[in-house]
Parts: sequence; C-alpha cells; structure tokens
Amino acid sequence: MTPTLIQYLVISLLQIVAVLGFVMTLVPLLTFAERKVIGYVQVRLGATRVAGGLWGAQRGRTHQSRTITGGLNGFMWWLGKWPVISILRGLPMFIADALKLLTKEDIVPTDADKAVFVLSPALAMVAAFTVFAAISFSPGALFYFPAKFPFLGGLPFNGFLTDINVGLLFILGVASVGVYGIVLGAWASNSKYPLLGGLRSAAQIVSYEVPLTLSLLVPVVLTGSLNFNEMSTRMAADVPVNGLVGIGRSLLMFVGFFVYTTCGFAETNRTPFDLAEAENELVAGFHTEYSGMKFSFFFLSEYASMITVSALASAFFLGGHYLLPFGLQPAWNHFFQHSPYAILAWTCTPSILWFLLKIFFLLFVFLWVRATLPRYRYDQLMNVGWKFLIPYTLVMFVIAALLRYAA
Amino acid sequence: MEKLLVNIGQNLFVLFGLLAVGGAGVLIFSKSAVHSVIGFLFSMICVAGCFLSLQAEFLGVAQLLVYAGGIVVLFLFVVMLVELTKYQEKGIFQTQTKFAIPLVGAGLLIFGGVFRAALFGASAEDALTLQQGLVGATENLGNAQAVSRGLFANFILPFEILSVILLVALVGAIVLAKSERV
Repeated sequence: MTPTLIQYLVISLLQIVAVLGFVMTLVPLLTFAERKVIGYVQVRLGATRVAGGLWGAQRGRTHQSRTITGGLNGFMWWLGKWPVISILRGLPMFIADALKLLTKEDIVPTDADKAVFVLSPALAMVAAFTVFAAISFSPGALFYFPAKFPFLGGLPFNGFLTDINVGLLFILGVASVGVYGIVLGAWASNSKYPLLGGLRSAAQIVSYEVPLTLSLLVPVVLTGSLNFNEMSTRMAADVPVNGLVGIGRSLLMFVGFFVYTTCGFAETNRTPFDLAEAENELVAGFHTEYSGMKFSFFFLSEYASMITVSALASAFFLGGHYLLPFGLQPAWNHFFQHSPYAILAWTCTPSILWFLLKIFFLLFVFLWVRATLPRYRYDQLMNVGWKFLIPYTLVMFVIAALLRYAA
Repeated sequence: MEKLLVNIGQNLFVLFGLLAVGGAGVLIFSKSAVHSVIGFLFSMICVAGCFLSLQAEFLGVAQLLVYAGGIVVLFLFVVMLVELTKYQEKGIFQTQTKFAIPLVGAGLLIFGGVFRAALFGASAEDALTLQQGLVGATENLGNAQAVSRGLFANFILPFEILSVILLVALVGAIVLAKSERV
C-alpha cells in the first residue's frame, strides 16, 4: 500500500529521529571508547573519576559531595568494585561531559565578529548531520509497522532516509560545506591561534577533498551509478563476469579502502592529520575561543563526520550490508547460499548488523590510529596528499575504467 | 496547506530564488569582505536549492560541490589573507561609478526582458520543467546520465573548447603572478 502524504511525512520524521538518535548516542559512547581504547593502548587506566567529592553520594560529609558530579563520581567508584562491569567504570564520564558542555559559560570574545562567531558552529553541525540524509543503513525496509499500529499500520520503516539517485554526490557536496564552519569560526574569533589553525585546516581539507573524491570515483566507475544503495549492493555482491576481473576488482577495493580511509582521516581532522588543533603549537586550533555549547557543536560535528567516513568506507569498500569485505561476498554466496545450516545461509543475506559492525570497527580504527601514530608536519601532510595520494587515486581510476571496459 | 504542498516544487523554487537574491544583496552591500563571501555562499547554496526544486538533482548537487564546496572556499581564503583595509585607504574601490551605473541599467533591462519572457511569455509553461529533449535523450534517463550524455556525446566540441578557455585563464593567472616576481 502506498502511504498518504501525511503518513509519509510522519514516517520520514520518525526515521529522521531514529537516525539522529543513533548518531547522538554514538557520539558520547565514542568519547568513552576513545578514553578507554587509548588508555589500554598506552597502558594506563583512562578516566576513573570526575570532579567532585571522591565518595560522592555518600551521605553527609561536606556540602560539595552532594553535587551531581559528586554523585557521578560515587557511581563510577561503585562500578569499579564489580569484577566484570568494572570495565565500564569510565562510562558515567559522558554524562559529566555533557553536563560540563551544557553548563559552561558561553563566552564571545570582545572583538569577535558576533554574527559569524555564532553562525560557524551551526554551519559545521548542519553540514555534518545533513549528510546522514543520504546514507543508507539498510537497503530495504528495516521493519513493517504491525497492521494494528494506529495510523501507520502495515507501512515500512526504511533503513535509509532518502534514496537519491545522486546520493554519493549529495554526501560529498554537503560535507564540503562543513569546512566553512572551521574557517569562518577561526576568522570570527579574531585571535591568532584560531586563524592559523583554521587556515591550516582549510588548506588540508581542500587538498584532501581531491583524492577523497577520486578514490570514491572507483566504485562509481565500477558500478556505473551514484545511488548509495545501488552502489554499495553492487560493490559487495556483484558476481564478476570472469575470475580475473573479480580478482582485479577485489584488489582495487582493497587498495582503495586504505586510500579512502587515509583521506577520510584528513577530512575529519583526526590524528595523524590534526594539525589544525596541534596543541603544542596552536593551543586548540580553530576552536580555541569557543566554549560551552558552541564548542560542543564543533565537537559533535567532528565525531559525526567520523561516523560518515566510516559509513562510506564500509559501504563502498568493506561490503556494506553484506558480511564479507572487498567484493568477496559472491564467492562466499556460491558455496553457502543453499547451505542446510540456517546460520550459514543467513550470512549470505544483507543485514543492518554487518553494516553497523563495520562502522564500529572503523571507529575503533580511528581511535587506534590516534593512540599509535604521531602527527604529520605541515609540509609532509601536503606531500602525502598531492604527491602520493592523488597519483595513486588517478592510477586506480584508470584501472577501474579498464576493469569496467573488460566487464 | 494542501495547496502549498501540492505545488511544493514551484513554491520552493520561488523561495530559494528569493533567498538567493537576498544572499546576492548581502554580497554586494555588506561592508566586511568576509560577510560578502558568506552572502555569496548562501546565494550559491540557494541556487543549488533552485536546481533541486526543478528536479535537476545532478546539477544542484554539482553546484553545491563545486561552487559552495570549492570556489567560495578559495574566495574566503583570498579575502582572509589579503588585508583589504589597506587598499580601502588608498581609495581604489568605488572608482568606476560612472561606468557602473549605465552598465547596471543595461543589465537590468536585458535580464528583466529575459525574466519577463521566461515567466509570462509563450514558453512560460515549459520553462520550469526539465526538458529531456534538450540533451538529445529520448528514453527516460537518470539525471547524471542525461547530463553526461549531453556533455560528452552531443556537445563534446563546445565542452572541450570551454575547457581550453579555462586553461587560458589559468595560464594567464600564472603569467601575471610570475611577472611580478622576476
């Protein structure tokens, strides 16, 4: 059955809320994971307490210990006493983080350009979140509303918000607007460190956008489409016409994955490309003068674009909604599609689970890299981008065109 | 409400068009160069919105990617790096007023005529729809396919000539920049 206009709008709204809810929950959990992962990699504990009285909610003592942070601290202490869940001891930290960001004084520097200063975090945030309109978490309907459900009975709840036929370009276009948040925010702060950080970051993003787009052209050429769903499905599960083309395709996807992820790291200003906020040179880079909610907008948009990069990499190179990465799924399906074991047959079908698992793994890679790699110098950064990545992606593009011609 | 939603494409086109004109106004009239660039950016995004409301989604998104994401960033870069106040004191701006006024008048007349023909003329009905016939595509192609067929098959020669013109501009810019240094 086809939904009426109002039903359609209501379902779209619900889907938007679901996607935004997913991203907004993932971001604080990611900050927790970041502390934890880097703590383990660097053989230390990570956050074990928040500000406030150490014994927190314990009755009495001082006035201070009855504050919210004191209570959180007590909760963390309590979590640490249990054998298995003590690993989650840092988890309440994200509540403290959110509280801190919400209640901090919102300072606008005296000589700042006020309108632009307020506008730029909003720009960064809008650009980072609008991208999710074209990302498809699951190719078809996620579930159908049960028939007795009021008003929406029998209608599908899709795993994607929109199915645009230029979805990939939409993602790239909207994401490219995000750089204004950084540059304008840096300029409007009217301060030296932010301006230097903003210029660095803008130069970096503009130069890495070229190899990023070129590396995404490989799946575009191989599939002959710009639609997110179609591209990810065909990259994952297209049966190659002959073995040689299939092997070439898999190798190309393997190399392309690394090139794309490298560019993605640079686009999101993450280590080892986080020169824009190199704390030993630039205090905190473009957001030095920002505090409170405005700072958290930048923060949220950075983490949201990490999720975007992970989603694109897993959709186009790691097999998207299917189990196996690099276009190996057809071979797997060949053997196990009609397997008598239900679980093996199930691994041949697309599922949102695989996609989310890949996203989580790539987010872990973001943190892993941050904990291990040192930062690039500015000239090294530009060398990597212009002298290595762009030629590599051009060669990959030509090979992809040849493979397409052979297929 | 229902009426608004039924004609949503046309209404959005008018809305985005007016917003784009507003952005262009900010571009021209604001005192600060960075505010001008923001107006320019806004205007470009609204033009992309216009394309989208005409169901030319490829063109709209390409507009976003190329203009908003690339060209305006370079404008912003230049504006931020060049200290404009120094040039303002020298009085090199607003010196061409006597040429500008007649040119603006002529431009208003020409574009007014074009708009009048497009909005109220004989072809006004067709003007606000994407015409498959223009790109020489008979079957119902996707947007990207239709545009690329137009560019790389039907109009390949004008397209290549245009790219040569861009190359000339590029070489000219390099020559101008070099001559200062030698």
